[in-house]
Amino acid sequence: MGLIENLKSYTEGINLSSDKKELLDSFLTKGFPSIKDEEWKYTSLRKVVKNDFKIDESSFDISENEIENYSLNLVDRILFVNGNLISKPSIKGVTISNFSEGNITNNTEMSSLNSALAKKGFTISVDKNIVVENPIEILFFTNSETDNFQQYRNQISVGENAEIKFVERIQNLNKSKCFVNHFTQINVAKNAKIEYNKIQNNTNNSTLIDTLNVFQESDTNCCVNTLIFGGELTRNNLNFEQNGTNCDSNMNGVSVLDDNQIADNHTFVDHKQAHCRSNEMYKGIYLGDSKGVFNGKIMVRQDAQKIDAFQSNNNLLLSETSTIDSKPQLEIYADDVKCSHGCTIGQLDEDALFYMRSRGIGVEEAKAVLTYAFASEAIENISVEEVKLLAQKLLAKKLNVDLDFSL
Amino acid sequence: MIEKKQLSEDKLLEKVTTTEYKYGFTTDIESDTIPKGLSEDVVRIISAKKNEPQWMLDYRLKAYKAWIEMEEPEWANVSYAKPNYQDIIYYSAPKQKPVLDSLDDLDPEMKKMFDKLGISINEQNKLANVAVDIVMDSVSVATSFKEKLGDLGIIFCSISDAIQDHPKLVKKYLGTVVPARDNFFSALNSAVFSDGSFCYIPKGIKCPMELSTYFRINEAGTGQFERTLLIADEGSQVSYLEGCTAPMRDENQLHAAVVELIAMDDADIKYSTVQNWYPGNAEGVGGVFNFVTKRGICYKNAKISWTQVETGSAVTWKYPSCILKGDNSIGEFFSVAVTNNFQQADTGTKMIHLGKNTKSTIIAKGISAGKSNGNYRGLVRIAKGATNSRNFSQCDSLLMGDKCGSHTFPYIEVKNNSSKIEHEATTSKIGEDQLFYCNQRGIGTEQAITLIVNGYCKDVLNQLPMEFAVEAQKLLEISLEGSVG
Repeated sequence: MGLIENLKSYTEGINLSSDKKELLDSFLTKGFPSIKDEEWKYTSLRKVVKNDFKIDESSFDISENEIENYSLNLVDRILFVNGNLISKPSIKGVTISNFSEGNITNNTEMSSLNSALAKKGFTISVDKNIVVENPIEILFFTNSETDNFQQYRNQISVGENAEIKFVERIQNLNKSKCFVNHFTQINVAKNAKIEYNKIQNNTNNSTLIDTLNVFQESDTNCCVNTLIFGGELTRNNLNFEQNGTNCDSNMNGVSVLDDNQIADNHTFVDHKQAHCRSNEMYKGIYLGDSKGVFNGKIMVRQDAQKIDAFQSNNNLLLSETSTIDSKPQLEIYADDVKCSHGCTIGQLDEDALFYMRSRGIGVEEAKAVLTYAFASEAIENISVEEVKLLAQKLLAKKLNVDLDFSL
Repeated sequence: MIEKKQLSEDKLLEKVTTTEYKYGFTTDIESDTIPKGLSEDVVRIISAKKNEPQWMLDYRLKAYKAWIEMEEPEWANVSYAKPNYQDIIYYSAPKQKPVLDSLDDLDPEMKKMFDKLGISINEQNKLANVAVDIVMDSVSVATSFKEKLGDLGIIFCSISDAIQDHPKLVKKYLGTVVPARDNFFSALNSAVFSDGSFCYIPKGIKCPMELSTYFRINEAGTGQFERTLLIADEGSQVSYLEGCTAPMRDENQLHAAVVELIAMDDADIKYSTVQNWYPGNAEGVGGVFNFVTKRGICYKNAKISWTQVETGSAVTWKYPSCILKGDNSIGEFFSVAVTNNFQQADTGTKMIHLGKNTKSTIIAKGISAGKSNGNYRGLVRIAKGATNSRNFSQCDSLLMGDKCGSHTFPYIEVKNNSSKIEHEATTSKIGEDQLFYCNQRGIGTEQAITLIVNGYCKDVLNQLPMEFAVEAQKLLEISLEGSVG
């Protein structure tokens, strides 16, 4: 049985409110997005949804040792097992609670499905003027004997003048396949600041569709860093909506893929108000038979004058069978703006490699150092030191070298 | 001060909207038209009128059958009322028989029209560096320099003549680069095309003059469907120009052309277009729908270079492309697309790299003013076998006024790891500091803008043959007159 059939039989047995029923029906008639959809042109879910995924939301026990394997060991940690919240820190001015319905906007098929069926996830609100120094780690573990489909739905609201940082990771602990439809909405109130780091290094039997929608009011700053090192198929939909003036939206992404991995980064910045900035930097490094997709869209509305929007997507194809599809887009309706995008696809510089080798650096190491240098521009923008170190460690591991780039 | 600036801007805006399209006149020339509408019979009538061989009719009918099953594409970022395909006259030819031996015998009324358009046929005869094929309402009316070219073995004639006189060549190459089923408009064109230009350059011949086709829509209610087929045999070289104008009418006229270029081993084709179809009036009424499929194929070491200056048409949907099939082949695309008032343009290119060491360059400059929208849509595809291929793309957009839009949709698909691709795009308006610099040195604002725009388009204009470069520059000035941002 495929996932669609399983969803149908699953939903027959439960009671849904009329709104949700409507969302579900509209999803079921359309089905999962296919490569005929412009937004999914380069990433096919066909194989994934053929799997016999079941919905498993039962809690399980997890040992501290197991957690440590995947944790950055930050002081404050929120822990989920199969979507169930089992531990959370207590921080002054920050309320952390279970999933709540809340007021969430849907914009894609996957978020409609999420909206109809999701019952797990977190709701975090940060009070006015609260500045949280330590980054908060959010860990989602999945463990099920059957191939399973998980849906998480999360909300973060950051109060005026508040500041906070998060590090999120989703990890499958079982040999069975796991497909997560992850949805997060962040509302940033005036003059607040948030940094959201996503570490996507799941096992190679895991699929992730991650939608993150950010709504910014005036004078806010939001930075989202996406690090993709693992997972069979990872799709990120990252959307920013600037509803106030003087906003900053920053995105950094590093994808290092090998084997048959697919990573698809879709970003969208909607500049609705004047005097805002967006800055986007995505670096892709492709090994093995991996495939990368980048789709970055910048929209500047008619009233949004004095916008500075910058986007860059650089890719290194390091193996013969890796491929990349890139589609940077600009849609500009205002005239007093500075918008640019750049996209490059290429290889390591032979001369630089030769230079290093002629000075006694082995070929693998030389390649790794150059590759790191390539990725570091994006990694350097991450402010959580632990995340930066992890990125360096994972990069070295992927490139098969024993080097410490932090030196 | 600000108020004053606002005032002068309004004045200038008014001036733009009142700058008239100067090719908008109509000419009374008797013509032979068939009734409106499209059906299998119409296809047969067109074919019969042209006295075509059976294979040509079969080709048309096959295309027609494909077309009726196709849907009009909607993916382009343009909005327009879809033409009613049953409300178009598919064949209209100036009545002028018998076929002329020399241009001197041309209908005086028509001659006058071309004089008005600035293409004096007599002058062309004497100036001697451009051979012109004139296509009016989709029928070729005059071709100059046939004999001189014939001495070198170059065939330059209307495609209907080519079907009669050189059926082997036409049959061999027609539809090989743009198959009839390729898209909605190419299928339509394949079914009903009434004329166009045909050109064949034999092996090793360097064409001594610029070849040129001048397209003119004259009759009301007609669609223009012309077909251009250009074959450059091994080691040959040719430069080809294309110009277009149409009268001012309140209806939207459809222009769906197909251009196919074939560059055999070591051949070199340069194809330049100055497109100035009637863009509609300042309220966005009327204007030509320009839905064109242009594509070229390059064999070993061959080169195709597209240069286009797009200033006209209400809606443009056009992607001159190169298939780089042979090793070491080169594709180039240079474009300036100007939109004003309510014009919409969705244009760009496709570079399909199949052979080894293939190179492509894309320089696209968009200028949007008034309430118009300009789009760049391009594809760079590097196939698995295209080792060491190289692409450089640059798309810049210039916005003039706060009601226009400019958009960029590049698609980059790479399946080979030894290739290098660079793409960059920028969108901005004319810098205040640039204007200030000019003003400070005694150059008026309007002149300064012309200067800056010309500088901005220079990379593309420099690619145009001399005769066209001057025209294009003037056209730019007219199109943008007064649109101070």
